[in-house]
Amino acid sequence: MNGSRAGFWGAFLTLLFLAVPGVLAAMGSTYGFRVATVCAIFVILGVSMQLITGVAGLLSLGHAAFYGVGAYTAAKLAIGAGLPFIVTLPAAGLMTALVGLLVAVPTMRLVSIYFAVATLGVGQMIFVTLLNWVSFTRGPLGIPAIPGIAIFGVNFSSASGTYMIVAAVTAFAVWVAHRVAHSYHGTALRALREDDQCADAMGVNVPRTKLEVFAVSAFLAGLAGALWAHSTGFVSPTDFRFAESILILAMVVVGGLGSIPGAVLGAVLLALLPEALRFVGDVRQIVVGAVMFAAILFLPRGLLGEVPTLAFIRRALGAGWRAPDGRVLGWR
Amino acid sequence: MDIFLVQQLVNGLAVGLIYALVAIGFTLIFGVLNVVNFAHGEVYMLGAYAGLVLAVALAPPILALLLAVLAVGALLGFGLERIAFRPFRRFRDEASLKSKAVREATLLSSLAVSIVTRELVEKLAGGDMQVVPSTLRLQEPIILSEAFGISGPLGDLVLIDGQLWILAAAVIMFALLQLVLYRTKTGLAIRAVAANPLGAAFVGIHANRTVIATFAIGSAMGAVAGILIGLYTADIQPAMGFAPGVKAFVAMVMGGLSSIPGAVICAILLGVAEALATEWVAQGWSELIAYAALLIVLLLFPTGLFGAGRERV
Amino acid sequence: MLDRRSLLLAAAAAPLATSALAQGRGYTLGYMLPLTGEFSQYGIRFRNSAEMALEAFNRANRLGGAPVRILYEDTRSDAREATTVARKFVDNAEVVAVLGDFSSSASMAAAQVFAQAGMPQLSQTASHPDYAKISPWQFRNITTQAYEGPFVARWAHGNGVRRIAVICIQNDWGQSVASNFDDAFKALGGEITSTEFFNPGNREFRTILTKIARERPDGVYLGMFYEDGAAVLQQKRQLAMRMPFYATSSLYEPKLIELAGPQAAEGLFLATSFMVTSPEPHVRAFVEEYTRRYGSEPNSFSAQAFDAVNIMLQALTRAHPDVTRQRVRDELARTHDFPGVTGVTTFDPQTREPAKTLARMQIKEGRFTLLQAQG
Repeated sequence: MNGSRAGFWGAFLTLLFLAVPGVLAAMGSTYGFRVATVCAIFVILGVSMQLITGVAGLLSLGHAAFYGVGAYTAAKLAIGAGLPFIVTLPAAGLMTALVGLLVAVPTMRLVSIYFAVATLGVGQMIFVTLLNWVSFTRGPLGIPAIPGIAIFGVNFSSASGTYMIVAAVTAFAVWVAHRVAHSYHGTALRALREDDQCADAMGVNVPRTKLEVFAVSAFLAGLAGALWAHSTGFVSPTDFRFAESILILAMVVVGGLGSIPGAVLGAVLLALLPEALRFVGDVRQIVVGAVMFAAILFLPRGLLGEVPTLAFIRRALGAGWRAPDGRVLGWR
Repeated sequence: MDIFLVQQLVNGLAVGLIYALVAIGFTLIFGVLNVVNFAHGEVYMLGAYAGLVLAVALAPPILALLLAVLAVGALLGFGLERIAFRPFRRFRDEASLKSKAVREATLLSSLAVSIVTRELVEKLAGGDMQVVPSTLRLQEPIILSEAFGISGPLGDLVLIDGQLWILAAAVIMFALLQLVLYRTKTGLAIRAVAANPLGAAFVGIHANRTVIATFAIGSAMGAVAGILIGLYTADIQPAMGFAPGVKAFVAMVMGGLSSIPGAVICAILLGVAEALATEWVAQGWSELIAYAALLIVLLLFPTGLFGAGRERV
Repeated sequence: MLDRRSLLLAAAAAPLATSALAQGRGYTLGYMLPLTGEFSQYGIRFRNSAEMALEAFNRANRLGGAPVRILYEDTRSDAREATTVARKFVDNAEVVAVLGDFSSSASMAAAQVFAQAGMPQLSQTASHPDYAKISPWQFRNITTQAYEGPFVARWAHGNGVRRIAVICIQNDWGQSVASNFDDAFKALGGEITSTEFFNPGNREFRTILTKIARERPDGVYLGMFYEDGAAVLQQKRQLAMRMPFYATSSLYEPKLIELAGPQAAEGLFLATSFMVTSPEPHVRAFVEEYTRRYGSEPNSFSAQAFDAVNIMLQALTRAHPDVTRQRVRDELARTHDFPGVTGVTTFDPQTREPAKTLARMQIKEGRFTLLQAQG
């Protein structure tokens, strides 16, 4: 592995697994661990959304529904069938990927705004189903007493234990998203985003590529849902409304549409902001909205916009060509 | 004849007209700028509050009230364009014009403005429903047998004067808009910018002024919709703009993006679908059926019902 | 880039540290409630009542000079914020008990944290049937539908209603309103013509009303918040539906009559545990002071919060001077015949469910009128 690539990943993993838990454990703050857990879950949602909306350019307004399907799948399997976390986690991911495919198939022909509204419709349909299909989902009563995370008998349900497991899954999700975005597949997605007719003419199988990215994105969102269910212990339909989809979209846009680090940063920022601003008191939501507006106003391409981030990554990871005199050609 | 079913159709039509009223202004703005205006619901809400304040303070006749709210709406539109949309039109390079990131950024800025506005109103006026004095409400029932002497089962049908006001407003707004769009220079400029902004600039149309005009007209209509519907439902609270805004967006897309008649027809369709779904299934599921209708329309008409001729998406 | 990120993280970590600051002498209660967002009107009322109750308590100085403080945290009644706020309270060693939240979903989510960490939680409005079953740490002082449903069923049946339609909000409370009422009414030999749920946020009821009118019921029972109730009353008048309407105690709110209009609200029956016009001295004192301080009459939600805070303070007093979370929990569990403004409250020793009394009211000539006193 290239030296700087290892360094880059090393820094991220150190932060995730050593720095953050270290500081929080020293402070003895279960609150801090809970906030960090929620941040990590939103990082997963953010990178999954980034794949569809940022990299593939398909504006999705119903992402919270995938999150909800994953959470309910994990909850029902854990309570109804008594399955352990190690099974409910991938099962939630797979179920959500299936739902994602079902959503993607009829919407393949739609472009841009039509696609966005179709995903809005699907998201609302899933929410209404979760709320009103009382015999299956218990409707608004929600599913309580979901067991905490336990793997092969080892109990991780404390605040710090939960965080470590969630962080592990987050690292996995970010890695998957990174690999998808920086592969041939990712380049195909970007081509699709810029001009799908051209991409089609160049030989990219547009419908199949779209289906694949949907499946991967939905799978990751399902993982996030399962983590939410197990770390909170209670799921109810009101956690997965349209407002959540908008929040996830905001995270990705503020962070930078198209870059994975951007999604991570945007998710952390928008998940932490309401907590960090508690001292402001009753005007908290107003300040959150104002901060979001300011971020978009001054940096419309996001905090870690796609082009500067891609350039940085490719430079740092030596993806340019080296000329004989040592200069790096290509991405600058 | 099943009078209850007919009553449900009337109910659905009334709800559909509400969505249509909001959709008209929304579609106009989208047609020109090609961005979703998430703050339209808040303009609607502010129109209702402004109208209520004016009505309680000055007690003007209803037509004067509507004109006043129209003016307030135009001002709000002017301000909205300045704050949330103008800063994102500063990019002139081709990469930015085609960039999805900038378009999503504009969408998000209107969303942020809508959040801040809603929270501010909630902070200042409280989150409760505002009390609408009974003299101002448009809630008098019109029972057909009593009002028009219609006998037989149809006589039991109930209309509400507010519904007739909304119908009249929708018709008048629609007609006025068609008049403005097809018979005035400003309307011509709006249609030109909607079709091709760069091309319009090349032929000498002042794009900024046109956009401002569009926002003023669209928001004025949204504000009037707000006060009318607010007086009809007597439901004036800070979150009132969210649901109609979403339905207006859906109706617009279903109708084919820039087609105002299409948006109106689809809005009515949505309202009637919801009413019939409540009748045959349950209110909780009616939204699902409305969205299912949306998906079916999009499956059969990927560019909306009347959207065939549009190039920009 | 890395600088921006580390700065952001540092800025975010700072408030986390302040939560564990020492508070000094005295006791601290936590209160989680919606101070912003769609339920803010309820949260603000709770805070008003809590401040009133707390001030009166500290003035009376029953703890030998140790003041009691309340730490208010806004959760917007959202489950995600509720769990983080719950953790914040748990971490704060000063907090010995927590009040709140408003909605059942937020209270249930927080309850998972409190059950695991061992913190007594008293909610003034959480009505989810499973709430008190989560662990011995959960308490609530709101009338459960298991009591109110049969009460209204008997009343309606006694008034001659044999076929009734039910309209409820689609949330956990609405579900329990419908199921408890349906079971009780059917047990009395009545018929439920239809049970209609509507999604929260919907205020268009003509479609539902037209649908139930088809069956021509003798009466209608409403389970919803007062704003939705006002809309239903307006619209039922428009559709000329003249059968009697009954409602849950959540519609007992002075503004209901203003919002619906006196004509539309005329004749509505409802049961309530709190009455603004009650002649009882402690209720009158509460109403007068609340109106004087906050400029509007208290409603049943303000009253619920007032009683909850006072029940909590009483438990604190009994536990004093050995005040720990476990001791406060035990004293809460022993609450018996507490004379609150919402009536006399006793927590069942087994289930910790409150037993309360209800009065019968009707709206006549634009005012809530007492038909039959609490009992």
